[in-house]
Amino acid sequence: MAGHMKTDLPAHRNIFRMIAAPTVWAIHFLLVYCTAALWCARDWGSIGALQAVIFGYTAVCLILVGILGWQMWRQWDYFDDNDYIHDQSTDEHRREFLGHAGFMLACLSFVAIIFDTMPAIFAATCQ
Amino acid sequence: MLSAQDLPQPFDRKLAHALPLRPGTDHLKAAPALAAFGFLTACVGPQSALDPAGRDAETLADLFFWLVAGAVVLWVLMNGLMFYAWRAKPRPISPKTGRWLIFGGGIVFPTVVLAGLLSYGLSVIPDQRAPGEGLRVEITGEQWWFRVAYWPEGATEPIHSANEVVFPVGQRSELTLKADQVIHSFWLPSLAGKTDMIPGRVNRMSLEPTEPGEFRGQCAEYCGESHAWMAFTALTLMPEEFDAFLQDLAAPAVPPDTEVGQAGRTAFMAHGCGGCHTIRGTPARGNVGPDLTHVGSRLNLAAGALDVTVPDLAAWITDPKAIKAGAKMPAYDHLDPDEIVAMAVYLEGLK
Amino acid sequence: MTDATPSRIGEGYRRADLEKHEVHVAEGIYPPTEEMLTAPIDPELADAQKERLLAVWNDPPGWRYWSAVNNSEVGLWYSLTAFAFMLIAGCLALVMRLQLAIPDNDLISADRFNQFFTMHGSAMMFLFAVPMFEAISILLLPAFLGARDMPFPRLSAYGYWSFLIGGIFVMGSLLFDAGPAGGWFMYPPLTTIDQGVGPDIWLLGLSFIEVASIAAAVELIVGTIKCRPPGMRINLMPLYAWYVLVVGAMILFAFPPLIAGDFLFELQRSFDWPFFDPERGGDPLLWQHLFWIFGHPEVYIIFLPSIAVAAMVVPAAAQRPMVGYNWIVLSAVGTGFLSFGLWVHHMFTTGLPSISLGFFSAASEAVVIPTGVQLFAFVATLLAGRVKMILPMLWIAGALAIFTAGGLTGVMVALAPFDWQAHDSYFVVAHLHYTLFGGMVFPLIGGVYFFYPFIRKQMMSERLGRISFWLTFVGFNICFLPMHLTGLKGMPRRVYTYPGDVGWDTLNMISTVGAFVIAAGIAVFAWDLVRPKGKLMEDRNPWNEGSLMWSHRIPDHYWGVRSIPYVTSRNPLWDQPGIVERMDQGGYYLPDAQEGLRETIITSAIDARPQHVTRVTGPAWCTMWAAFFTGGAFIFPTFHWYPPAVISAVLAVACVIYWLWTSTARIPENPMKDVNLGLRLPTYVSGPSAPGWWGVFITMLGDMTAFASLIFGYFFYWTVHPNFPPPLADHANGAWVALSALCYAAAWGATRVARPINRSGAVVMAQVLLSAGIVLAIAGAAAIMLSVAALDPTSHVYPAILWAIAVWTAVHTIVGIIMQGYCLAGTIFGKVMPEYDAPIWNTVLFWHFLLITALVSTAVVGLVPRMM
Repeated sequence: MAGHMKTDLPAHRNIFRMIAAPTVWAIHFLLVYCTAALWCARDWGSIGALQAVIFGYTAVCLILVGILGWQMWRQWDYFDDNDYIHDQSTDEHRREFLGHAGFMLACLSFVAIIFDTMPAIFAATCQ
Repeated sequence: MLSAQDLPQPFDRKLAHALPLRPGTDHLKAAPALAAFGFLTACVGPQSALDPAGRDAETLADLFFWLVAGAVVLWVLMNGLMFYAWRAKPRPISPKTGRWLIFGGGIVFPTVVLAGLLSYGLSVIPDQRAPGEGLRVEITGEQWWFRVAYWPEGATEPIHSANEVVFPVGQRSELTLKADQVIHSFWLPSLAGKTDMIPGRVNRMSLEPTEPGEFRGQCAEYCGESHAWMAFTALTLMPEEFDAFLQDLAAPAVPPDTEVGQAGRTAFMAHGCGGCHTIRGTPARGNVGPDLTHVGSRLNLAAGALDVTVPDLAAWITDPKAIKAGAKMPAYDHLDPDEIVAMAVYLEGLK
Repeated sequence: MTDATPSRIGEGYRRADLEKHEVHVAEGIYPPTEEMLTAPIDPELADAQKERLLAVWNDPPGWRYWSAVNNSEVGLWYSLTAFAFMLIAGCLALVMRLQLAIPDNDLISADRFNQFFTMHGSAMMFLFAVPMFEAISILLLPAFLGARDMPFPRLSAYGYWSFLIGGIFVMGSLLFDAGPAGGWFMYPPLTTIDQGVGPDIWLLGLSFIEVASIAAAVELIVGTIKCRPPGMRINLMPLYAWYVLVVGAMILFAFPPLIAGDFLFELQRSFDWPFFDPERGGDPLLWQHLFWIFGHPEVYIIFLPSIAVAAMVVPAAAQRPMVGYNWIVLSAVGTGFLSFGLWVHHMFTTGLPSISLGFFSAASEAVVIPTGVQLFAFVATLLAGRVKMILPMLWIAGALAIFTAGGLTGVMVALAPFDWQAHDSYFVVAHLHYTLFGGMVFPLIGGVYFFYPFIRKQMMSERLGRISFWLTFVGFNICFLPMHLTGLKGMPRRVYTYPGDVGWDTLNMISTVGAFVIAAGIAVFAWDLVRPKGKLMEDRNPWNEGSLMWSHRIPDHYWGVRSIPYVTSRNPLWDQPGIVERMDQGGYYLPDAQEGLRETIITSAIDARPQHVTRVTGPAWCTMWAAFFTGGAFIFPTFHWYPPAVISAVLAVACVIYWLWTSTARIPENPMKDVNLGLRLPTYVSGPSAPGWWGVFITMLGDMTAFASLIFGYFFYWTVHPNFPPPLADHANGAWVALSALCYAAAWGATRVARPINRSGAVVMAQVLLSAGIVLAIAGAAAIMLSVAALDPTSHVYPAILWAIAVWTAVHTIVGIIMQGYCLAGTIFGKVMPEYDAPIWNTVLFWHFLLITALVSTAVVGLVPRMM
C-alpha cells in the first residue's frame, strides 16, 4: 500500500549510505587493533589508559552507527505502511528497501562494535 | 661384522609400553554427562588434548566438551527443522512467522549466546598466559629437533638438553620459545595449547602440570621436509623428583666403563662429532646439533624418530637421511660398522 | 509506436541519472506503457531481425571456435577447466590419504607428500574454488540479468586463457618433482631459504592467476551494476546477483594484499631484499598478515557464491519467493564486511598480545550472526513453502547439514584459547573441510544439477545424481568426522606419516576409507556430467523457477535473449505472464542488430533506467596472445630469465593496446539508436555512465588496496621494530623526492585539464597538454627512482621497502604514460574526438589514483622517516 507520496531524494538512491554503518565498524576495528598493537609494542602506558581509549572509540562509533541507523530507519519508513517486503519496481520500494537493509546493517554493526570492545574488558593484557 | 641392514628395524617405539593409560581423569567427572561415556576411552592418549594432565589443558578440554554438547543440540535443531519441512510437509507457515524465525534464530539467539561464550573465552586468555613461578625453560625450534635449556630460579647458566622437556608438577613453568631458521610451533596437548616459535621473535607461554606422567609433544607448524618427525617427550615429576632430575642433568657425562664404550668415545672424538655436539666433561663442545651429555637417559632419539637403543643409534649415525629425510647431520656410512656400533654403545651409555 | 511524445523521458528521468557532461542522452518513452508491451509484432520484421541477430552472435566456425568470447563459451571452458583441476587436486588428496592410512607408511616420500599437500590446498583454492565461482558467474549472470553478454567479453576470454596457462604451469611442476612444497600459505623463512624453484612457481604462477581473478571480478561487478535489464532496480536483483556483487567487491579488497605480499616475497627471493629476514630487520610475520588478510575473506569468497546457488535452488524447491530477501542482502553484505576482521584467527598461536587476539576472536564470533541469518532464511522459506525434494535441493540440504557442523566447529576455533589446542591439528582439517565441502562442493554440485538444463538443454540423471549424493555425503562424514578426534588426540596437520603408538592409526584408516567413498561419489557425478544424454529437453523451465534465466529457448541461441525485457518483479517468470513469449517475439528492447554489431543495454546502477547501448567485443585471437605473453612475463622470471620476461611483457602490452584500439569505444556511425518500445539511446558514452569507466574505477580500487598493503608493511616494521628506520640509516634524497612529487602533481594537472579542453574542441591544446603530461610523468618516475638510487636494498629492510615503494610507483607510472600516449594517438588518428572522449575520461580517472599513489609514496619515502 503506497503511503502518501514522499519525494525521492538523490540520497535515497545512494547505496553507499546503506554500507556506511559497517564501514564505521571497519574503522572502529582498525582503530582498536592498531592502537592496541602500538600500545603493546611501544609500551605506551597503563592498560587502564588503553581501555579508556578503546571505550572512547567505541562510544564515538556507536553514536555514529546509531545516527546512521536512525537515518536508515527513517528511509525505511516502516510505520508509514507497515511494509517490509519492497519487491516492486517503484521509487518507494527501492528507497524503503535500501533503508531496510541499511537499518539492519546498522544493527549488525552495532552488535559487532560491542563484540569488538569486549576484549578490552575481559582480556585486557598485552601478555 | 654388523651391517646397517642387519640391525633391527629402527621404527619400533617404546612410548607405547612406557605409557600405561593414565587413570587420572578426575576433572572429567565435572564435564557434561554427554561426554562421559564411551567417548572417554577414545579420548585417551599420550598426546591427547582431551586427556589433560595440566591446568590449562583441563580448562580447554572442559570448554570443548561444553561446546560440543551445545553444538550437537544446535545442529539437531537446525537440521531437524529442515528435515521436518522436507519430510513432514507441514502446513506452510506464513512469511511473517518466517521472518520472526529468521530474527529469533539468526539474530537474537546467536547474539546472546555468542556474547556469553565470547566473554568466557576471552577471560580464559590471560589465565592461560599467567607468568611462571620459578622454572623457566628456553626451547628453540631447529630443523628438526628441539633445543632445550633449563633456567631454574636464580640460575646464571642454563642446563642443556634436547627433545625432552621435564616439568615439576603443581608449579607454573615459564617457556621461552625461539626458532633458529624457520617457524616451528611448540605443542604439548596434554598440558597446554601451542605457541609458535618464530625466527627473530621471542615468544612465551606457561603451563602447570597437575599430575606426574609421560607425554608426547610435537611441532605443529609445518617446518619442512621432516616436519612429521619433530616430536619430543615431556615428563612431569613431583617437585622433589624434579630437583633430583635437574641435578643429574647438570652433571657432566659419565665416562664409559666398557671397552667398546671407550672405543666408541675415541671414535666419536676422532671423527669430529664434537664439532657439532656437546658432551659435557669431554672435548666435544659443538653447538650445532643436540647436546648429547645424557643422551642415553632420554626417552627418544632424533626428535621422536627413533628410540635410544644401540641399534637405533647405530642406524642413525650410519645414515640419518634414510631415517629422517633432509636431516642436517651427515651420514657416516663410510665408517667401519664396528666403529659405528661402538659409538652407539658409548652414546647409549651416557645416562 | 515511436511517435509518442518524446518529452516523457524527461519526466521519467531525474538529474542524477544524467551526467552533466553527456552530449547525447536517452530520449523517447520510458518506462514503456501497457499498450506498447501488448502491441502486436510484425512477424516478417521479427524474422529479419532474428536472422541479423543470429549472424552477429554466432560462434565462429571450425577451429576458429577457440577465438570465441561469448560468455556461454568462455564460461563453459572456464568451469570445465576448474573442474578438471579439482579432480587432479582430489587425486592428490587420495594419494595422501593412502600414505596416511597406516602408520610409518612409505608409499610416497616426505618431499613428495609435502608437494602434494601444498598443491592440493593451492589448487583447490586458486585453481578450483575461486575460478569456479567466476566461471559459473560468467556463464550464468547475463542470463539472470537478461543481458546478451558480459560487458567486457574479451576480458573474460583473457582471464580464462591466463587461468589455463597459469594453472597448467603450476600444476605441471608436480610432474617434474619440482612442485612447491612450502604449504599453500608459503610461510617464510622456510620458503625464502628454499633453494629450488618451487616457491617461485607458486608465487609467480598464482600471482598471474590472481590477476586473472581480479579481472573477472571487475567484469562481474560492472556486469551486475550496469547490465541489468530495464526496470530491474536494485531491490529486484536476483539474490545470485547480490552475492556476485558482494563477492566481487571482496575479491577486490582481498586479493591485492596477497599480490603485494607476492611482490615483496619475489623481490626477496630474486634480489635478496630482506623483507622477511629477521637478521636484516625484516619480519616473517608480515607475510602472515598479508597472506591471511587475503586468506580469510577468501573463505567467504568461496562460500558466498555457493550460498548464492542455494538461494536460487531453495525458492525453486519451496515453489515460493525467498522469505526474507532483505535479510539475505543484509547477511551477504554484513558477511562481506565482517570477513575482513578475522584474519588473525589464523595467527592465534603466533604470540600476539592477548588483547589483539581478543579483537579477532570477537569479530570471528560476530560473523556467525549474518551467516546464521542466511541459514534461517532458507529454513523459513522451506517452512513457508511446500517442499518438493528436487535433486538439486537434496544436495543443498546435504550442504546445509555439513556446513552447519563446520560453522559450529568454527565457533569453537574462533575462541582463541581453544584454538591453541586445535590450531594446525587435524581438528582444523576437519573443520575447514566441513565448511568448504558443505559451503562449496555440495552447493556447487547441486548447482550443476540445477543449472545443467539451462546450460546444455538436457537433464542430468536423477538416479545417478542420488547415488552420487549418498556416496559423497556418507563418504564425507566417514572421512572427516573422525578427524576432529584425530586432531584433538594430538595429530598435527601436514605430517607425511606418524608413529603407530599414539592412538591415531584406526582413525586415519577410517578417514582413508571415507576418502575413497567420496571419490566414488564424485566419479559418479563426473560420469553423469560428461556422458552423452541424447535428446534435448522440451520444457525450458524444468524446475518452474522464476528468474529470467529460464526464458532461454531450446535449442539455445548464442544471443542470450532474443530481446531484453522490461522487468517489474523479482521473479518475472512467475509474476509477469507472457514475458517469455514476448521476449521470443522480439517485443522488448534491442531485438535487432542492424549495424551487425554485438550490443547490450547499459542501465543506471540503482534504478536500472536505460542509459545507452554498448557495443561489446566479438571473437578475437589477440586476447589469447595477450594472455600467452602475460604468462611469459610471469613464468620466465621463475627461472631468472629476465630478458625474455621483459620481451613478453612488452608484447602483452602491445596485444592489449591492439585489442583496446580496435574494439573498444569505437566511434559510432550514428550517435543515437532506436532500441524499440519508443526509446532511443546513445551509442557512445564516456565518463561514469560508461562500463569502461567503471572497469577502470573498480580495478583501481583493487590496485589501491595493494598499494595500501605495501604501506601497511612499512608501518608494520615501524610498529614491531623499535629502531625502524635504523638510527644511522641513510634516507632517500629529499630533493629528488620533492621534485618527484611536484612532477606528478603537474602531470596529473595537465592530464586532468586536457579532458575539458579536448571536449571544448581545442584538440591541439589538448595534445600539447597530454604530451606535457607524458614528459612530466617520466620525470616524476625518474626522480623517485633517483631518490633511492644511492641506497642498498639488500642491506636492510628499510632501504628495501623504500625501493619497493619507488618501484611500485614507477611501474604504475609506465601504465599512466601508456594511457596518456593512447589518448594522444587517439586524438591524432581520430579514435578520440571532442564528443567521443571515453579514453581520456578513463585516463584521467587512472591518473587520480596515480596521483594518490605518487603523493603517498613520496611522503613515506622522503618525509615520514625523517619524522620517525
